[in-house]
Amino acid sequence: MSHSKNTTGIGPVRAAMRKITTPFDEMRDWWGRAPGWVRWTVYGLVIVAALLAPSDSVGAFMSPESDWATILFYPIGVFVLLAIGLNVVVGQAGLLDLGFVAFFAIGGYVMAVIGTELGWNFWEIIVVAVLISSLSGIILGAPTLRLRGDYLAIVTLGFGEIVRLVAQNTDAIGGPRGINSIPHPPDMSDIEIIPDLQPFTYGVIDPRPYYYLLVALCVLVIIFARRLEKSRVGRAWAAIREDEDAAEIMGVPTFRFKLLAFAIGAAIGGATGTVFAAKMISIVPNNFPFILSATILAAVVLGGSGNLPGVILGAFLVGWLPERFRGFEDYRVLLFGGVLVLMMIVRPQGLLPSRQRSAEFAEGSGMGGMGAEVATPTAKAEVSSR
Amino acid sequence: MSDVTGGRALLALDQITMRFGGVVAIDGLDLEVRQGEIFALIGPNGAGKTTVFNLVTGVYQPTAGRVAFDGRKINGMKRFSVTKRGIARTFQNIRLFHNMSALENVLVGADAHHRTGFIGAGLGLPWHRREEREGRALARELLDFVGIGHRTEEWAKNLPYGDQRRLEIARALATKPKLLLLDEPAAGMNPAEKRSLQQLIRRICDAGTTVLLIEHDMGLVMEISDRVAVLDFGQKIAEGRPAEVQNNPAVIEAYLGAPADAS
Repeated sequence: MSHSKNTTGIGPVRAAMRKITTPFDEMRDWWGRAPGWVRWTVYGLVIVAALLAPSDSVGAFMSPESDWATILFYPIGVFVLLAIGLNVVVGQAGLLDLGFVAFFAIGGYVMAVIGTELGWNFWEIIVVAVLISSLSGIILGAPTLRLRGDYLAIVTLGFGEIVRLVAQNTDAIGGPRGINSIPHPPDMSDIEIIPDLQPFTYGVIDPRPYYYLLVALCVLVIIFARRLEKSRVGRAWAAIREDEDAAEIMGVPTFRFKLLAFAIGAAIGGATGTVFAAKMISIVPNNFPFILSATILAAVVLGGSGNLPGVILGAFLVGWLPERFRGFEDYRVLLFGGVLVLMMIVRPQGLLPSRQRSAEFAEGSGMGGMGAEVATPTAKAEVSSR
Repeated sequence: MSDVTGGRALLALDQITMRFGGVVAIDGLDLEVRQGEIFALIGPNGAGKTTVFNLVTGVYQPTAGRVAFDGRKINGMKRFSVTKRGIARTFQNIRLFHNMSALENVLVGADAHHRTGFIGAGLGLPWHRREEREGRALARELLDFVGIGHRTEEWAKNLPYGDQRRLEIARALATKPKLLLLDEPAAGMNPAEKRSLQQLIRRICDAGTTVLLIEHDMGLVMEISDRVAVLDFGQKIAEGRPAEVQNNPAVIEAYLGAPADAS
């Protein structure tokens, strides 16, 4: 297949890339057949690795130039959780959302406003933030989810900007200066697990407790998302992605399920925003630029839209690589863009795509494979000809 | 053929007209499908047969007229609600969920009557597990029923053509329809496949599902149907038992053109 395309000059790159990615595919297939105890062992190891990650010896390699634990919280941890949320919308339901940062911002501002004005504590606020952000997802989705493909992308893009601009121009929430002295979560316990590490004490200096909070949220959200994926809900999303009209005729209330995907994605985005605001002490509207929506989308697509391990890997790389190569200064964003372009050429389905998604990708063309319902040259026929 | 002419009307189209811009696709159509029968809708290409299917399943809303199912008006209802009320269909050009397994395809149909939302599924609550179990059992049973029980885990797109047609029928049956609409189910099948399809349709009917069929294969239509209606240019030009319709001069004209001396 690649031989015919060698004339474009990327043939060798493609071949090299295949060498790198074939093990990924083999790993995925092995994983698909692996028995339960193997899976649970791997899950356990991954969680242990995540808990041990913020140590100096790991950090010496991962980010020699800045504080590793800080980077693990933001961007890496925040990106991972946001990407898991966006994956529900883009990867599962196949809706292209270009304004996902809006929900992150809404969660952050809910934390900031309620925390500073009403003095509620973090655990109460996160519940409210999840409700408000999912409600805002429904409010955005109700009129717009009737649109398909590129129209939906444009409207969500606009929504992301509107939220940021409203925050910037509303003096009651600080305008461009944002909100300061957001309270930290209350300490759950001052237990010291190893010297110098109190994982449940949320202070100003140590980012690790916040990182652990993100890890815990990630685990919860992953379990929830996996269960949805394997249930009626996930099947309905997959059916909508494959053929929305046929799905509706088979009894799937497609609009309701798309709205549900939007609300769940928004809730996860909002929860992330709450943790982010509580850690950062102060937030400003410019914490939530469009480029963040684009970056999270890049993470989802790069990793393998629709496949949780892939999405997590993608978010990790997108969060980590620019930090690791800070030495390149101004060129790192350029390099990052170059890597993304290269990926889209040689491995458009992402590093670790799900089998179903790669098949859809091979079938469709362009954006269709990415999950968006953009019209393709081989546009699907009407429900059927007269 | 069994005599069901006395049966209760299950589906009734009352003076249905469908216009697409200036084109009148269906013109004042009256049609009645009775409980328990196999009813065939035939006619030349472009006569409006599939449009009738689209009107019944809520894909199109009629320009004028009324569609009643089981005594209640269904035009204006959402497509998924029509399915829930008991009408399922297959498609002329197969529209399976290609990158899902045969079993999952049927499960999507079975889900039409499931109630689990994201809370039940996300928390893994007991009734969700029960629904999942029952859905899987039903799906396996239906795949056996249509004769592809050995291919549950294969992706829909990897199935041979005839099996894809069968899978579409299984997916439609999973919604537990009272009325099954089959849009050219025998298209592209060889004679042996057609014979076994004919038996399958007979078994579906015997199991209590009324069948409304669009088919071009006259041998199949004449052998299996209790009643036949003929459409031409959106109008019903004949209706009755297969033998009556077969000899109707208007039908012969629609299919073969008017004899030269008639013009």
